[in-house]
Parts: sequence; C-alpha cells; structure tokens
Amino acid sequence: MELIGTLGKLRLAALRLSRGNLHHASKPLTNPTLLRPFSTSPPSLETSPTQRPLRHRDLQTSLLPDLTQIDPVLDHDPSPPSTLDHGKAFRTNRPQSLVFNAPMEDLDESQTPLTSWEMARLLKKSLVVKRVVNMNGKGKQPSMYALVVVGNENGLAGYGEGKDEEASRAVRKATNRAIKNLKYFERYDDRTVYMDIEKKFHATTVFLRSRPPGFGNRSNHIIHEICCCVGIHDISGKVIGSHNPMNVVKATFEALNHQRLPEDIAKMRGKKVLDVQHVYYGAQ
Amino acid sequence: MNLAVSNILYHQGFISSVARGNYKAPDEEYTPTTPDNIATRRLWLTLKYRDNEPVLTKMSCISKPSKKITFTVTEMKSMVSGRRAKFVEPLQPGEIAIVSTNYGVLEIHDAMAKNAGGLVLCRAR
Repeated sequence: MELIGTLGKLRLAALRLSRGNLHHASKPLTNPTLLRPFSTSPPSLETSPTQRPLRHRDLQTSLLPDLTQIDPVLDHDPSPPSTLDHGKAFRTNRPQSLVFNAPMEDLDESQTPLTSWEMARLLKKSLVVKRVVNMNGKGKQPSMYALVVVGNENGLAGYGEGKDEEASRAVRKATNRAIKNLKYFERYDDRTVYMDIEKKFHATTVFLRSRPPGFGNRSNHIIHEICCCVGIHDISGKVIGSHNPMNVVKATFEALNHQRLPEDIAKMRGKKVLDVQHVYYGAQ
Repeated sequence: MNLAVSNILYHQGFISSVARGNYKAPDEEYTPTTPDNIATRRLWLTLKYRDNEPVLTKMSCISKPSKKITFTVTEMKSMVSGRRAKFVEPLQPGEIAIVSTNYGVLEIHDAMAKNAGGLVLCRAR
C-alpha cells in the first residue's frame, strides 16, 4: 500500500515535470524517501526546481515545449473566427509581381534607372479606373482596379495595372508598375510612327497611321493619351472591333512595339535606304 | 508572268533565288518548257529570313479577276508617294507593287520611269 502510494506520488511528480511546471513547482520534492529509489545523484534540498536536473534522462530543458504560449498549429484557437474563410495554411505559388493587389512598395531609385526627379517629371495618365468585385463565400469583395500609362514624352513609355481597396492606392500601385515596365519606342523624326501599323490584340484591332508634321494627334482617346506619353505628335489612330479600354491600351503598346524600321528592312533586303525628306530638303 | 514576278521579288531582295524545275527538284541544266513536260514544271524560290522573321511577310493581289485595277502613271505616282489611288491603299516604306505593262511585268518604279501605265498585279512587303 505504501509503495503504491509512493509510486503514485512519483508518477504525479513526473507528470507535473512533463507539463513544464518547472517555474512554479507546487510541491518541491523534499521528502528523501520519495527520491531515493530513482535518483542517481544524492538529493540536495537547497537547489531550486529550475536548477535541479530533470527526472528522465532523455528530457532536456531546451526541447520541452513552452506551454505558456498557444501553439498556432497544435493548439485550438479559442477566439471565435472573424471570417468564414479559414486562413491559408500555405502561401500560393503566384509571384508577387503578377498579383495586382499585392501589398505596395513605393518605388525608390534603386529599382529603376530613373532618378526620383525624372520619375516625378514623367507624364502619368490613369486611363482605366473601375470598381471590380471578387465573389467569395463571404460575399462580394469590392476593390478598385487602375490602369496607368506613364511616359517621358521622348520615346519612353509603359503601362501598369494595380488593384486595391482604395482607388488612390490602386493608381499608385499601377503607376509604380508602369514605371518598372518603361520601354523605349522608335519614332520617325521624334514625332510620328515610321509607317502605317495594323495590330490585332484579342478582339481589338488598332490602326496607327503615320502623318505629316502639323497634323496633330487625331485618334481614339486612349491611343491619344498613349501617344502623348510616348511623344508622338502627328498620328491618325483608329480602333476597329472591341473598344475595351484595357485591350486598346495593350493593343497600342503591342503595335508600337512591333514596328518594322526602314533600316532593318533595308538590311534584310540588301538595299540601301535613304530618307529623301532629310537628304533632299534638309528637313529636321 | 509568275517567273517575271519572282524575278522582281528576287531583284528587290525579298527572296534568295529563283529556279525553274520540275515538281521534284530545280533543274540542274536548262530544260525548255514543252507540251510534254508542262504539267511537271514548277518554280523553286528560296525564302529569306533574318532574326527569326521573314523578309517577305505579306503579299497580296491588288487587281483580281472580279475587279481589275489599271493605273495611269499619275495614279501610280500618288500610290507611291503615300496617297490612296482608286481605293488602293498607298505603298508603305519597304513595300513594292508589281505592274503588268506593255513593256512587260515591271516593278512600279520601273514602270513610272518608262512612263507606262498598266494592270497593278500585286503588292509585297
């Protein structure tokens, strides 16, 4: 009877130790009769519970769990959930740059070859700002989408898209992305396109026609803004088919991107190219 | 006429070479076209490419059997200088037009030099 009682008390003591009650051991094992059958070293009654070695030889203080904190994985969160959606346990694969509503980092000079003064001087035009909605199990999740075109009116231009709860922040995200996507476009005489371009992008067909100096920028309002940013002053632009603003922007940029320069054509055909306007009339 | 058009394309630099031949291969030595072998006669053209892009990207008819388009020299001049003539789109930089004149099948600039109008066959760019 006495032995069982002793064993029971020892088991209790072991349990208390495994639960990590090292800091506030309620009953320090001061009774020598309890310690004697299992202890390897002579019991010292002066030492505090924290300094005493642990009972079981495989137990180490560093490996014991800190049971004062709630473990996010193993313990059940006692607070009631704020949303019906459970948070994702693992991050998605989608890279940050492709996600329009990723947290925003403002551009600094290290990320672009432009100085902050040049970035401030860029012509920025938000062509599309609209309210978009994501349907969830929770319901409709509205956010603002912005498409911004940025250019230095001297050949450099780019577009960026951004999404956020607030329109102003979405525009800022889009502007940052546009500055990162800046590209140089070739212009004839720094004022117009080299030749007439026809470009189809999805359901949108864009016609960009080269025009003489003084003609002006006579095109669809979206093409007009993009050409302003690029620095094209004399052009006739037309959109055929779908007038979806996002696709018109992308179609125009593709058209300007895939220009065939007369010098390249001459090289390919093995001919010599001469600009009569410049040579004969000496025009600038 | 096909041979003449191919020759113009070759001289303008759109294709590498033109060769007469049969359906199997170009001729090694000159073989005249006779009623015996006319069904097997073919033209072999070597296409040109640079930087993963073809040199001859687009070639289309202007004058078609359903609607024949004949140009005077004035109309040819306007087409070449970038103005539309008779519902035909003007020529772009790097584009050529091939005209069938009384002097034979010529490129549009050569036809203008000879002061000869004619049927505008096709355009190539």
